[in-house]
Amino acid sequence: MHELAMTTQLVESVLEEAKKHDAKKVAEVHLTIGKLTFLGAEQMRFSYKILTEDTIMKDSKLVIKEQDGVIECPSCGYKGKVPIEDDPAYHVPIPTLRCPNCGEAAKIVEGKECTITSIRLLKQQECNNDCKRCC
Amino acid sequence: MADSKEIVKGEEVTLEIAPGMDILEVNRQLAQKNLQHLREHNVKAIDIMGSIGAGKTSLIEQLVQALKQKYRIAVFKGDLTTTIDAERIGRHGVKVLTINTGMECHLDANVVSKAVERISLQDIDLLIIENVGNLICPAEFPLGTEKRVVVVSVTEGPYMVLKHPFTFMTADVMVINKKDLAEIMKIDTEQLAKQAKDIKPNMKVAVTNALTGEGIQELIKALEL
Repeated sequence: MHELAMTTQLVESVLEEAKKHDAKKVAEVHLTIGKLTFLGAEQMRFSYKILTEDTIMKDSKLVIKEQDGVIECPSCGYKGKVPIEDDPAYHVPIPTLRCPNCGEAAKIVEGKECTITSIRLLKQQECNNDCKRCC
Repeated sequence: MADSKEIVKGEEVTLEIAPGMDILEVNRQLAQKNLQHLREHNVKAIDIMGSIGAGKTSLIEQLVQALKQKYRIAVFKGDLTTTIDAERIGRHGVKVLTINTGMECHLDANVVSKAVERISLQDIDLLIIENVGNLICPAEFPLGTEKRVVVVSVTEGPYMVLKHPFTFMTADVMVINKKDLAEIMKIDTEQLAKQAKDIKPNMKVAVTNALTGEGIQELIKALEL
């Protein structure tokens, strides 16, 4: 829903890193998105393309990895994937924070992230011209 | 940014960032700061989320009316463009600060911290924050409140909970509002409550009619106020 705002922040952070490293071009950005967020990979890619247009990130590759939700139960210590409640009365399977081991309310420990894990920077423009002027 | 390891290969540098820079984490950390700051001043804060028209403002009016003898209250109102709601709440004699988000679909910890700077925390004990009318985005952005409330109304149909499970995971209290219309709308409020508890077993539920004040005491109890 707020992919544009999140992608704006992503692009700003990457550009800042690129500047620190004196990069001429950003080639690749790796991002992990938790499955318990409301961030859609497709909309982030779309926003990314528009937001990077006039920057050194133009045409860079955005690699998105999705992270499953993981819960931990403070009562019994269970740690594992977010269980799915498949009650036929609901028509759809729904994720739940109910601990599958003891039934108490568990806490989300993974699946809420939107994390930049790596950035590939180029110190020189990739250039196929033989003019020797730009690089 | 977090620590990064540089892998240099000719003119190419790869920054491996460990443990990674989480864009959402920035907000979560700021929310934690807000919570601490408010606690230091003995201020309890409540965040109220829900769709447009669910009855958030009417509920706040009822809460303010019922609690203003017991607490010194301030209300933050997230609103895109107007101050209509702020005027409604202000009539009950409490401080109201409108946070006009302009185009944002949710409040975040940063705008709340800025708003907190504009009020005197010594003069209040309870801060009620009405989030922007939207059931999705606010869930992603904790503000630093003691409790999060999600308001649904029976006129929104029977699938409000099932369609927004992640929102309900982040809430502590659920309000099912407009209970007087449940029968007309053929909505089983107990079923809605069960669905919320299936997603979040420790969810507290209050069934209300925010126009008459019915169920407000139930909500106050759920909020431990």
